[in-house]
Amino acid sequence: MWMAHSRSSYSARRLALACFALLLVALFLLPGQIQGLLQYLDEPVGHVVRVPLETIASIDARIADRWEQYVALQGVREENQQLRKEIEWLRGQHSQMRESAAATERLTALLQFKEQALPTMIAAQVIGRDATNRYRAIILNKGESDGIKADMGVITPTGVVGRVVKTTGASSVVLSVTDPNNAIAGLIQRTRDEGIAEGTQQGLAQLKYIPLLSTLREGDRVVTSGLVGGFPRGLVIGTITRIDKQEGALFQSAELMPEVDVGRVEEVLVIQTSYGQSTKAGTGADLLGKP
Amino acid sequence: MKFLLYLILILLLVPLQTTLLPHLSVWNIKPDLGLVAAALAGLFAGELEGLLVGLAIGWVLSLYSAGELWLSLLTNGGAGLLAGYLGRQVSQVTSISLGVGLLLLSLASGLIAAMNFKHLDVSQMWWMIESIILPEACIDGAVGAGLYWLLSQRFHITRMRTE
Repeated sequence: MWMAHSRSSYSARRLALACFALLLVALFLLPGQIQGLLQYLDEPVGHVVRVPLETIASIDARIADRWEQYVALQGVREENQQLRKEIEWLRGQHSQMRESAAATERLTALLQFKEQALPTMIAAQVIGRDATNRYRAIILNKGESDGIKADMGVITPTGVVGRVVKTTGASSVVLSVTDPNNAIAGLIQRTRDEGIAEGTQQGLAQLKYIPLLSTLREGDRVVTSGLVGGFPRGLVIGTITRIDKQEGALFQSAELMPEVDVGRVEEVLVIQTSYGQSTKAGTGADLLGKP
Repeated sequence: MKFLLYLILILLLVPLQTTLLPHLSVWNIKPDLGLVAAALAGLFAGELEGLLVGLAIGWVLSLYSAGELWLSLLTNGGAGLLAGYLGRQVSQVTSISLGVGLLLLSLASGLIAAMNFKHLDVSQMWWMIESIILPEACIDGAVGAGLYWLLSQRFHITRMRTE
């Protein structure tokens, strides 16, 4: 290892320290302005970084595909049998649901409810995970130029994934429903009690501020309430696995098993407009693959 | 030439950190390559370059993280500056000393980030320290030491030092 004995280092050192001190002062005194200044550069930088990011993400996806198709086939037979049983059970459920849906349609027509528009959605691919270990977030291959903005809800056909927290021109960061910094207004489907679904440090979720008189039980499903944020009503967040009712507490809380395993998600839908708002683009029904 | 090298480094860091490293993570913990790269840049090129490279890395990586911009700028820029400053004062930097230095640096940056988290009680803070911050610091130290050993064995890179 070579070493350069530098005499002119003092000026560089002073300059570096001055720059850092200036930056510290600017960050603490004018955080909004600094962020606003850098936002002008976010879009072009996002487009430049998109090239290597998407290239490596597509190579990664191909390798994962090969692995799943040829190598990771152990236990497929058992899984197949299990899925066949599940299909049989779901067929029975499906016919019951169709009956219920038809009845609901008739009753809705009778009550002359205003018809709600389906939400507009943008399909996006997951190309990475959060750059740090401290947040449970995923990176999507679509950003501001595709119409994605902060606070939009993100789902899969199975359920809620999270919320967009940051965007560049060509990508966006989605904070998962299992992150403790995320909160979504939830509703227990059976009892209709409302609460706030938050992530936990352990990678699960919990429903907080449930009324004490609620008759919730393990196995109840929690869906979005549609009252706040970018989610329409009725999207599945998770299933209650444990109830926490402490003596003297004003509310009870429940642990949730999230419906979507965010670690395995590959494609998602970003909700552009919620129910009832104008829908110029294609509706989410097509993207969700509804029959 | 140097500018181009730094540009390539920053551009490649994003897919490496966000797409490839999650597959190589140990107990779901991946190294913070941005911090390691900023520290190595500071060590080899001096504090000013370390600071600038650290700031650039911090800014670009913050675009791909839910974390806050100021924290990313502060930790990565600070890592480059500190590594440059300390590296100048030490006559013989070994892989082990660099690894320990990076471990402490990563620990400090993780603790600042944890303190910035809202609504964390003491038990949650401890959980975060022992499950995320400490393992990450160990991995950062090991990766930094390995990279330094590789660079010092394979390439004759000049390190700045005061007389």
